[in-house]
Amino acid sequence: MKSPCDEFSRARPLLGTIVEITARSSHQPDAEQAINRAFAAIAVVQRRMSFHDRNSMLSRVNAEAFARPISVDEKTFQVLGMARDLYVLSNGVFDPTIAPYLEHTGFLPRFFGKAAGKRISFADVELLQGSRVRFRHAGMRLDLGGIAKGFAVDEAIAALRTAGIESALVNAGGDLRAFGRHLFPVEIRHPVRPERPLAVLPIGNQAVATSAHYFADRLRLGARTGPFVHPGFGQLRGDLTSVTVIAPNAMLADALTKIVMLDPGQSPALLQRLSAAALIFDSKGSVLCTPNWHETLKAAA
Amino acid sequence: MKDWIPFVAAPAALASTAVPGFANTYLTVEQAQQAIFPGSVVTPFRITLTPDQQKNIEFRSGVRVRSRELKVWKVSGGGWFIVDEVLGKHEYITYALGLNAGGTVKQIEILDYRETYGYEVREATWRQQFVGKTIQAPLKLDGDIRNISGATLSSRHITEGVKRLLATYEVALR
Repeated sequence: MKSPCDEFSRARPLLGTIVEITARSSHQPDAEQAINRAFAAIAVVQRRMSFHDRNSMLSRVNAEAFARPISVDEKTFQVLGMARDLYVLSNGVFDPTIAPYLEHTGFLPRFFGKAAGKRISFADVELLQGSRVRFRHAGMRLDLGGIAKGFAVDEAIAALRTAGIESALVNAGGDLRAFGRHLFPVEIRHPVRPERPLAVLPIGNQAVATSAHYFADRLRLGARTGPFVHPGFGQLRGDLTSVTVIAPNAMLADALTKIVMLDPGQSPALLQRLSAAALIFDSKGSVLCTPNWHETLKAAA
Repeated sequence: MKDWIPFVAAPAALASTAVPGFANTYLTVEQAQQAIFPGSVVTPFRITLTPDQQKNIEFRSGVRVRSRELKVWKVSGGGWFIVDEVLGKHEYITYALGLNAGGTVKQIEILDYRETYGYEVREATWRQQFVGKTIQAPLKLDGDIRNISGATLSSRHITEGVKRLLATYEVALR
């Protein structure tokens, strides 16, 4: 007879937030070892793809990829490939080359020299054979902040699965993903009335991510702005106060919240195509969702 | 915005009650000692900082020292185990820091945290158990998604706490 599953949770400060991992297992040492491996997998992503770490692989790319093609590790190249796909699918709305704008507005540290004066886009990033990256212009840099956190969650999930865990949840400050037969309750809070959850989603084999304005708000010239930059307008913007996306994996969910935030009009079609759905709070306080919200939630439960 | 429809919550969600705050415990002190230093023997190390040490630590770390009483254990075979608390406007976190024999960070484990928000914070009697200030945006937690065990805590306070403990090691333990 199979022994019943217990839930084991651990939390550590990583990725600029608190990452919580919950594994369900009938054997505590197995669960703990699997959780340790999952945290280690997240730490690897952080070391490679953080803009905030001068020694990360990404910082090396940002410092040198105009001078010469830079070889990167397979995972970083995989994330860059996904970023390019999303850049194309979103008609340029998702664009990691907005980094200099985020430096200028204080959302990212200023590690590098003068930013390129001309208009730069992800089309100016060359992904070459042999996992190499080259910039077409001087003064370019990439910020993978809109996608790497989700990827880190996916890597942790993969580590837990490989370790033989049956069901688990990885939650990196609101970017979360579950796998296995167990349904984990996930609350969506109202942005203005957080004490009352708007909905509790049963999350099984699925990822959920939220982007909200006040997270990284800065007071600038008397106006509140969030770190969402529309490349076409070259300005911080966002008419929505909060966006929640359900998607098959956390990398996609993470990136799609940014796309919806910047381009709510066009994004329902893209979400549908990627088996994802979204829930938004607009500035007037209305709560809206894509028509496929309920079915998407059900499909992966 | 034509492709968006009004969100109607499932009946179960409407039935859910208010959540005034949230608390979760991950590890006891003993469990954290075993998690960070498996198989080692840890011995309580009684230490109270002098006012001079306190000033020195604040100078080195740039972080305020709230309590001169430390919760420190010495680890057999070298190393230190320290339990510390950080307080924010919306959170209260207890964590353990394991230091290698040379004073470098071995591992950090969160033991437990509580979070809360909004107007409750203004209630003086209620606030006493969570005294503390944060430079972070007051609505930081709002609008976030979390599962029942929460996810919205910034790690900034812990980063500052670790900075303070590393200075404490230099000043008082080394």
